[in-house]
Amino acid sequence: MIKKLLYVLLTALVITSCKSGGDRSTQTDFEVPDSILSEGMEISEETMQNIVQNISSPVEMAALIKELGVPYSSKYLSSTARVEELSTAFKQSLNLGIYGADLGYLNMYNKTSAVIDYISAIKTLADEIKVGQFFDFTTLKRLATNNQNLDSLMYISVHSFNQMDKYLHSNNRSNLSALIVTGVWIEGLYLGTQVAKETSNDLLSERIGEQKLTLNELILILEVYKKDKQYAKLIDDLQLIKDQYQNVNIKTIKGEPEMIEENGVLTIIQNDKSMVEISPEQINKIISTTEEVRNRLISL
Amino acid sequence: MKNIAVILLFFALSCPFSTRAQDISQLTAQCAANAGDVMYLKDFIVKLDAGTPGGAPPTARFALLLSKSVVYRLSICTAPNSEGEAVLQLFDMNTLLGSTFITATGKEFPFFDFKCQKTGVYHVFISFKEGKAGEGVGVLSYVKKL
Repeated sequence: MIKKLLYVLLTALVITSCKSGGDRSTQTDFEVPDSILSEGMEISEETMQNIVQNISSPVEMAALIKELGVPYSSKYLSSTARVEELSTAFKQSLNLGIYGADLGYLNMYNKTSAVIDYISAIKTLADEIKVGQFFDFTTLKRLATNNQNLDSLMYISVHSFNQMDKYLHSNNRSNLSALIVTGVWIEGLYLGTQVAKETSNDLLSERIGEQKLTLNELILILEVYKKDKQYAKLIDDLQLIKDQYQNVNIKTIKGEPEMIEENGVLTIIQNDKSMVEISPEQINKIISTTEEVRNRLISL
Repeated sequence: MKNIAVILLFFALSCPFSTRAQDISQLTAQCAANAGDVMYLKDFIVKLDAGTPGGAPPTARFALLLSKSVVYRLSICTAPNSEGEAVLQLFDMNTLLGSTFITATGKEFPFFDFKCQKTGVYHVFISFKEGKAGEGVGVLSYVKKL
């Protein structure tokens, strides 16, 4: 009975509280510099959004690391101490993505005390670039402090990033979305490569090799804004990593998919298989170049 | 159940959206929770008009990158006020890999699991049965590594 009452109350709260919220999709209080507006864009907004969707989630690398049995280490994370010094939308967006990936890693290991620092840093940066409305700091902090409902903490964190990304695209601010996605990606690669440096694992090496696909797409997006010096410099940095991927090969073996139903759950087994050809030397070069680029980006 | 309550409360208190967007956010949260003990990754929100008689049903398409050696779950939820019932299909290029509605048997599933063996770009198609108008949301979740 109490449960039902709680749901009725929550639903009522959802409905009533939203009426005053208004539709913020038309908010225009953030100036996009003329220098990076989409003038002369070579790819459409829709294509760009599709590319962004193609970039795997920040929590996938963290999930793999955890499932491999690698213990948590705070040394992989970017410090939040400098958050107030990040003074431009470029730096704020890039670091927002970096902290987002770190938050995924922390959530994965249920490190709720450290989570609060990262949520706080993300909220600060998100407010600076006018997307703070997607981060309910109070709810996130309460979930983290109580160390309960960790699934909800993860859901709300990831969903908030997704909402923010959609909002930026629909408000002609894809330039910032591209930076956030780049930040998420570079930090995910950094986490993966740092673990690979200490723990050799075939699956992790393969996952690092597969990032070749994502990196090519990221550079494609960023090139739209290369008129801006900061973007051009970022592309140059990513190009250093791309160079290390030059001889990494990804091959596919064809097969027919199978469908099975077990205990009412439908499962599709793919029999196409991709295989990454990557040598230990190539991995080592990717590890060191990623470390160099990522550390430069967090000290901008 | 407790998770759904917390997620609902989150949306009630934060509320940066319009009422319609709020409904969709609730549906997304519900759909993610219904997917079970898995980790939410992405959602695909769809609102489509009815198709023309005899024509192909209107379909929303989304590209996504899936990684080898991961089991993903793809779920579909139809909005309560929707005229048609949403169907989610997963394609690799032109090959249909899976669907929440099996045409041959008429069987429906709220979700299906996909054991991915090839890293690459896939496409999620969402349409409504018989080409009716409708609103719904698809959710991609991470189940485990293979």
